[in-house]
Parts: sequence; structure tokens; C-alpha cells
Amino acid sequence: MVATSNSGGVGARPGIAAALNQINPLIFVILGLYILLIIGSDRFLAVTNQMNITRQAAVFLIIAIGQTFVISSRGIDLSVGSAVGFVGCLMATVIDAGVPVPLAILFAVALGMTIGAVNGLVITKLNVNPLIATLGMLVALRGATHLYMGSNTVTRLPETLKFLGQGFIGPVPVAALIALAMAIIGWWLFYHTKFGRYATSIGSNESAVGLVGLNVDRQKILIYMFQGACVGIAAAVLVGRLNAASPTLGLNYELHIIAGVVLGGTALYGGVGTIWGTVLGILTIGIVENGMVLIGADFHLQRVLIGILLVAAVAYQGFRRRRLGSGER
Amino acid sequence: MAEAAAPLLEVKDLHKAFGGVHAVEGVSFTIEEGEAVAIVGDNGAGKSTLVKMISGAYRRDSGRVLWGGRDVPLNTPDDAQNLGIATMYQDLALVADLDAAGNIFLGREPMRRWLGLVPVLDRETMRTTSRQLLDRVKISLPSLDRPVRQLSGGQRQATAIARFLLSDKARLIIMDEPTAALGVQEQRKVLELIARLTEQGITILVISHNLEHVFTVCRRIIVLRAGRIAGVVKTDEVDRQQVVSLIMGGTQ
Repeated sequence: MVATSNSGGVGARPGIAAALNQINPLIFVILGLYILLIIGSDRFLAVTNQMNITRQAAVFLIIAIGQTFVISSRGIDLSVGSAVGFVGCLMATVIDAGVPVPLAILFAVALGMTIGAVNGLVITKLNVNPLIATLGMLVALRGATHLYMGSNTVTRLPETLKFLGQGFIGPVPVAALIALAMAIIGWWLFYHTKFGRYATSIGSNESAVGLVGLNVDRQKILIYMFQGACVGIAAAVLVGRLNAASPTLGLNYELHIIAGVVLGGTALYGGVGTIWGTVLGILTIGIVENGMVLIGADFHLQRVLIGILLVAAVAYQGFRRRRLGSGER
Repeated sequence: MAEAAAPLLEVKDLHKAFGGVHAVEGVSFTIEEGEAVAIVGDNGAGKSTLVKMISGAYRRDSGRVLWGGRDVPLNTPDDAQNLGIATMYQDLALVADLDAAGNIFLGREPMRRWLGLVPVLDRETMRTTSRQLLDRVKISLPSLDRPVRQLSGGQRQATAIARFLLSDKARLIIMDEPTAALGVQEQRKVLELIARLTEQGITILVISHNLEHVFTVCRRIIVLRAGRIAGVVKTDEVDRQQVVSLIMGGTQ
């Protein structure tokens, strides 16, 4: 249907249904969880508990911001859990050896970006599927961390680092503020820069991006490097919060993070991503975990719930996609 | 303007073989600026090989290419792009999840500074320029902010065309079966689009199986048969049956 004159403006899709379509359905899930948990526990709504949720979620969210770019570009990075462990342990040992904290954090970010660059190079230049490339990195980095640390654990870290993970500004955890800052930077990069635009475009139609003369490989490597930078920052916050770095640092974090990103609405088949959704996705998992502890539910039950929630979210995504416009590319 | 102006594109004695198979054997023709020319032929006649040499996707074995009367290198897609030859692929090479303005500007996004500081994509410029480009070909989209996934086939074609117009350099647009896989209504819109582009002085080279469409929008038809030119005819001087005979190799 091609009209003969330019009428301008947004297409006619007014009404409540359209407005509801714009709202991330996770908001309703979170609302429901709040109602249930307020009824179920008198401690849930306390400011200290609410702030605790954001503090627990912070490390996951920082890494999930990078993962949102990766998944939007139809990639995946399974190595983030191992990478945060490896980077965290190396950072802690250099701090232990006397390197000033700011310099050590820069080192952590640089190390994270290097790991990301290796992932990106293996995926683009060696043409290895991202799932396998980063699975290899997951295994190798965890092994390397154990080799490097042996049975050691670095403890008693400087106050400046602990401040990042445990400190408060007023009632608000510093870790949560760092995560918020990362989310804002992620939002800017995702929606307002070429970097974010090319990430989703590559996820949607890689060959079309190549045909307009853009270097797809370079963009992909940059995406994995950005993921690595997020890992570096997260490592500093995590080690600061635990005031310790042991070889099991960050174990299984990747599952938590990928679940949060996908739950938020970023599509595993690429092309569609949402930073705001990732924030909600990570918070949802955090609220479930926190709430289940407070109402004294079995620890393993929360994992059952999160699993069900994840599958339901992906099924809903597919349903929505089929309803809005043709599913073919 | 001048009567003696050289044709926009002239190819002389093009050859291309794959192994022992001669796909194109000594093809020569000219295309004048601003005309729409069709290449027709049976399957395997060499149409797409010929067009791929012009778009730089294939390197010719021998022959000359003259652009505006001058010999030019035309061996890579970049060479073609530098000359102003744009190829519209059958799948249109659009990013389905990106809106029309985003597709038109893909890889050439303008930036502005938010509060004079933070660089951000200049969506407003992308939108207004896109609207102007679409106005030039008299196409209106219901919304420039909607992912092109939700647009019709004809609207997607218009988006792909607008992308070429943005560069200002596009002088020859090659279209591979532009009306295939479209509904009747949409086909008509695409034919109108081609007509408007030629009115704007843009030259169109179209591969099509549909002779009715070819007769509607093209001034001349190049008929290929078995890698050679079977005839070059003007659409106002022949009828469809005669073209079919040329394609099939029969005599009239």
C-alpha cells in the first residue's frame, strides 16, 4: 500500500492495546512479585532489603549490559562468568602486590577487553560459532584461574576497592550506582550511537550491513571487547563486595546473565535488543531470589521458578514477533 | 544535451567463461543516460553473468567498458560503486529490524551533539532527508520509524532505491527481477517507481522475465541467447511476440 502523498507522523495504531504493547511485560511480572512478597514477608519492602536487591543485582547487570549488545548481534558470550573470575583474581593479586586500586581497575578493564578481543577474533577470523568459541573460553579461563591461584584466596583488600562493592552513598549502594551508570552508558551506546545500531543491524541481516561497506568483523570484535570492558568493571565491584578473590569467583554467572537479558526481551535470534529490558530482567531474577530466601522457600525452588519464567518469556517473545509483522527475513 | 554526447555505458566484446562453459561471448551494447533498458533471455542465456560483470561482482575475461566514453576499470563492486553503478539485489539487502530512515542511512549516519557534548545519532536529519528522497520518487511510507519488516514489498523497494539516491552518485541502477515475488498492485507501484527514476535522469538496467512489465517501462530491450546478443529492439517498434521469437531463437 503506497500512498501518493507523504502524510507524515506515526502510523495509526492508537489505543490502549498499542500502549500496552510498548510496555515491557516484565513490569507486570515484577508488580505481581512485589504484591506476593509484600504479603509473604514483612521484611521484603524494607529499604535495607530493597537496596540489598540492587546491590546483589549490580554485578550481574554490569555484565548483562555488554551481553545485550552481544546477543542483539546474534552472538553469545558464555565466557563472562569465567572471565570475571579470571580478571577478578588477577586484579586482586596485583593489588595484593601493591599496585594502586585505580591502576588495578584499569588493568582489569584492559584484561577484560583483551579476552573479548580474542573471543571476537576467533569468531570472525577463524569462523567459529560464538557458542563454541566462548564455551572454549569459559572452560579455558576457569582452568587458567585455578592454575594461577592454586588453592590461594586473596583477602583483605583495600578500603577503596571495598567501597565500590560494599559502600553506600546515603541509603544507596555504590555498586548499584555503578550499575546504573553502566546502564545509562549502555542505553546511550545502544540507541544513540553507530556502535549500537550496527550491533542490532548485524544481528538482523549481517550481509546487508556488509553490502553497504561496513566492516562486519570489526564491529563484532568491538562488541565482544565492550562485553569484556563490562566484565572488567564488574570484576572490581565483585571482588570489592566479597572482599576476596578465589578461583571459583563468578562461577555459573553466565547463565544468570543470559537468562536476565533474554527475559528482558532481547532476541536470541538477533536484531532486537533492549537495555531497559535487561535492567528489568536482571532485577526480576534478583527479586525472585531475594524473595524466596525471605519467605523461607527451598533454595532450589527459586531455580525452578527462574527456569519456568525464562522459557515463558522466550515463548512470549516468539508469539509477539509472529503477531507483529511477517516473521520471515 | 549535445547530440554527440557519449553513451553513459558502453560495453564492447565482453567475454566470460566458467571452466569450459562460455556464459557470455562477445556481447556489445550501449546504454544512454536516463533510459530504462531491459535485459531478457531464457534461463542460462547469460543475463545474470552479464549484469554481474557490470556490477563488478564478476571480473570479465576480456572486452572493454566505457563510461561516458572513457575506458574505466570495472573489476570489483567498489569500482562499480565509484562510477555510480548501484545494484539492487533481489532480497534488497535491507535490515528488517531497522526503520526505513535507518536503512537509507545505514553506514552513513549523521551525528549531532546532545547539549553540545555527547555525540548522538541525528535521527531528525535522517528522517527529514529520507522523506525528501521518498518524495522525489513520490513514495510515501506509513511511518519512517517502523521496522521495514512491517512494510510492503513495494515500500521496501522504495526504501532500497532511496538509499541509492542518498549517495547522489547513483547514475545507473541495476535491478534484478524487481517485480518478482510481488502482488499485482505492488508490481504496478514498482513500475511507476522505475518510470519516475528515469524522469529524474537516472538510468535503469533491469533484468526481467515479465515482458509485459518490460514493455511498460523500458525504451529498449537487449535480448540474450546462449551468451550472445540475439537482438536489441525498441519497445515502440516491436511487439511482444517478436521479442519472444528472439528469445526462443525462432525466425519470424
